[in-house]
Amino acid sequence: MAELLTAEQIDQFRAHIAHIEHPRELIIDLLRAVQDKHGWVPDEGVELVAGLLGLTPLEVEEIATFYYKIYRRPVGRYPIHICDSICCWSRGGEALAEHLQKSLDIAPGETSADGLFTLLPTCCLGVCGRAPAMMIGRESYGPLNNEDVDRVLAELRQEAQA
Amino acid sequence: MPTLTIDNQQVTVPDGNTVFEAAEQLGIVVPHFCYHHALGAVGACRMCAVTVVEGSMPGMKMSCMTPAEEGMVVETGTAQAEGFREHVGEWLMTNHPHDCPVCDEGGECQLQEMTIASGHGLRNYRGNKRTYQNQDLGPYVAQEMNRCIQCYRCVRTYQDYCGGRDFGAMGSRQRVFFGRFRDGMLESDFSGNIVDVCPTGVLTDKTFRFKTRLWDLEQAPSICPHCSLGCATVPGGRYRELQRVVSGVNLQTNGHFICDRGRFGSGYVNHPARPRHARAGGSRVSVTDAVDSLLRRISETVSQHGPEAVAMVGSGRASLEANLLLRQWAAELNCPPPVFELHPRRARAIRQTVGTLSDHLASLRQVRKSDLVVVFGADPLAEAPMLALALRQVVRAGGRVVVLDPRPVELPCEFEHHPLTQEKILCLLAGNCEKELFNRLLQDLMAARRPVLVGGGDLLGGVGLQLLGHLTESCDNDDRYCLVHPLLPQANSFGAGLLEGPEQTDLLERLESGRVRALICLESDPCSEHPEAGRMQLAISRLDYLAVFDYLPTHATKRADLLLPTTTPVEGDGVFINNEGRMQAFARVLQPGVPLAVTGQGNHPPREFVPATPGCHPRPAWQLLQQVLGDERTLHGLRQAAAEHESRLEGLSDLQPGGEGLRVMPSSQAPVEESTVEIWSQDGDLRLLPVQVRYGSDHASCLSDKLTPRMTGPQLIVHPQEAEKRQLKAGETVLLKTAQGTFRFPLACDERVVRGRVIVPCLPGTPLEILVPGGLSLPCEIEGEAP
Ligand code: SF4
Ligand code: SF4
Ligand code: FES
Repeated sequence: MAELLTAEQIDQFRAHIAHIEHPRELIIDLLRAVQDKHGWVPDEGVELVAGLLGLTPLEVEEIATFYYKIYRRPVGRYPIHICDSICCWSRGGEALAEHLQKSLDIAPGETSADGLFTLLPTCCLGVCGRAPAMMIGRESYGPLNNEDVDRVLAELRQEAQA
Repeated sequence: MPTLTIDNQQVTVPDGNTVFEAAEQLGIVVPHFCYHHALGAVGACRMCAVTVVEGSMPGMKMSCMTPAEEGMVVETGTAQAEGFREHVGEWLMTNHPHDCPVCDEGGECQLQEMTIASGHGLRNYRGNKRTYQNQDLGPYVAQEMNRCIQCYRCVRTYQDYCGGRDFGAMGSRQRVFFGRFRDGMLESDFSGNIVDVCPTGVLTDKTFRFKTRLWDLEQAPSICPHCSLGCATVPGGRYRELQRVVSGVNLQTNGHFICDRGRFGSGYVNHPARPRHARAGGSRVSVTDAVDSLLRRISETVSQHGPEAVAMVGSGRASLEANLLLRQWAAELNCPPPVFELHPRRARAIRQTVGTLSDHLASLRQVRKSDLVVVFGADPLAEAPMLALALRQVVRAGGRVVVLDPRPVELPCEFEHHPLTQEKILCLLAGNCEKELFNRLLQDLMAARRPVLVGGGDLLGGVGLQLLGHLTESCDNDDRYCLVHPLLPQANSFGAGLLEGPEQTDLLERLESGRVRALICLESDPCSEHPEAGRMQLAISRLDYLAVFDYLPTHATKRADLLLPTTTPVEGDGVFINNEGRMQAFARVLQPGVPLAVTGQGNHPPREFVPATPGCHPRPAWQLLQQVLGDERTLHGLRQAAAEHESRLEGLSDLQPGGEGLRVMPSSQAPVEESTVEIWSQDGDLRLLPVQVRYGSDHASCLSDKLTPRMTGPQLIVHPQEAEKRQLKAGETVLLKTAQGTFRFPLACDERVVRGRVIVPCLPGTPLEILVPGGLSLPCEIEGEAP
């Protein structure tokens, strides 16, 4: 298993944990750190976080599985959260999702053959003003039409090659 | 105390009660799922809708979340509320499989009941149902997640109430899952309670799987025999087999829950080695012949050697009634009164509880409500598991728990542990050492609003409990008492202690000297209960006559010249008195008999045509003793007479099984002064402390195979520095040298153990059984095995 957190990161978190009253509040930060480094959070990642915080793996898992932006299974390099909620539906979100599925040749929840994209329908991204919207990494995009989507995908493919 | 009207009936309820509770008081059950008496209301399931017609917020409301108000008018059956509840029933059923015929919950399923009560009968939903992969939660709890209705009761019980940290709610929305991080046995010592609270068939008792439908189950209210707390249970069985135990409800003691030892520890009832036939002189005889021969032998002994030659031993395992009759028999023979606890130091602890402490005793409920509990010399999870849960409720409500104990005590909550030797604890209570800690505790206790002291009878002994009594008194003030919650060795130790006459410590000497020729044991085993087991065994082998009444296979039943098999507490009626002096009646669940599972060995039982049920000979000990005494009173008559004779037992004859029980009257006698010699008697740099452990230390649960997965083998626990000093390592097998012999066991190290002590578990049925808990620590040495 590849390294989930660097020794330096672990030291930093340890120092931080020693200073706060409720280490539990760092669960998300630690999980995100593992995810940023490893792409997703494997079981060992949950156990590592639990060990650092003095919690049981279950207590970390309860939080990890609640949030759909913590990935507990392998995902592509660019997980795409496509909004699956009422504002986006009313502005053509369903057609957009259709288009994404066709151009990536995957169903919702799947990862493209090149390992770059995973399509994850997500209930409300909180950017209704820019419906229809999607989110990749920590950036949200919208309002989108098919051409916008193609352009974003092309850019990311290029970035991946670089 | 608001008065309100529900469905045209008026009711007055305590402040803070909800509309739901007010309705319940009227006998109106509003359909509900997430509300549970012990867990409270969370308003999650939306099933308990009612219509508030008049009140500060009229309209349809969730009754479990709506406080009862003065003058409120509520209707539970309006079209609006009924329609709403029907819809809730319908949407809960959209995902629920229609598998009642193969579901273990069927017949006692709250979902079945509430779906019908909600009026939802015909499904309209035609889509796919959500499905899950189940987990293996270990040998006790089976999981069938597809049946889940997300009421969260299991998590609220397991985590919030019981403090378990390995079972919880994962995921969100349609994919919420209740389970563990990985497959594996649930770790909490209270895990079985999630079976009782789950309103559907998700979490069921794996040890009871596919055995019996509720309507075929024989059940009755009973009292758990596995420690002195006397929790309410409801055992159930069929085909002469005790198949399961669920929690009963007694708000004064256990509340709604029980521990896993109580739930899964009843295999002794079905044990194939149980004595089933009366035996005299090595051959099987009828019960009547056995009683006749017993009477003949005893009267011969009395006439040849005088009444002093007969000794009797009662016990904290036997019912109050049986112990009473034994005492009566001794009186009639004019022989010395029975010894009711064979371990002299334990007997003194019981005597102090029954006497000195009797006007300051706290119920388990009072422990839960306390704001400061100081535990002196007790390991609650081992000696009285539900006490550990009560302590958790103290901490949850903002109170504090302090533990003074030499062992690596664990509790399902935060607490302050002071590792002190037994001797130091006694010395502290006497005000002779650890003065700083003592004064700090004293100050905190004085300032507390509802302080409780817990005293482990085994570690403190009589002198410690007496000192604890002085401490409670000095912490009393004009507004409140400081209460005490002592732990005793057995379920009816208090009851047996009530009957104890003047102290008799010389039984062993009387046996050894040959003055006693005949010994009668009532549900007690001198060879494993007396602290000097080796001497006791030898003394017993020299007796002319040993008569034993028992339901467990013991050393005594093996050696008995006369054996009368008795029934277990689930096969007869009786009364136990728990550690706070609460008399509680239990009722017969099953008729005695060898379980079909044993006679048939998994197949059809043998095709024998005999008039009697196999193994039906055991009788309640009190009935056998009545036969001995020619006593024809009913059980009720017996209890009535006892209550008239012994004023502390007032109300005994009114007890109902399944009720809250009744406290015995406080003692009116002057307290017996204990010798304080033992406080200064321990020295040597390494000493051995035999203790009870969570599973397998009590004589009944060590015979329960269901508990095997939880049992830890024999091991010696020391502070790591003690191991280091002797160049020993954790995990290695070491030699333990004691006056009782040399033993070979693996060594474990734990930082929480006090320095200078070796903690060793008492495990009946293993070579360690001769190290009986309840005494002072013993000199010992540990060393590595010779290379
Ligand atoms: S498993 Fe049972 S108790 Fe837990 S949420 Fe589901 S139905 Fe409720
Ligand atoms: S705490 Fe004691 S009495 Fe209560 S269920 Fe457990 S073993 Fe039985
Ligand atoms: S019982 Fe009231 S909302 Fe569940």
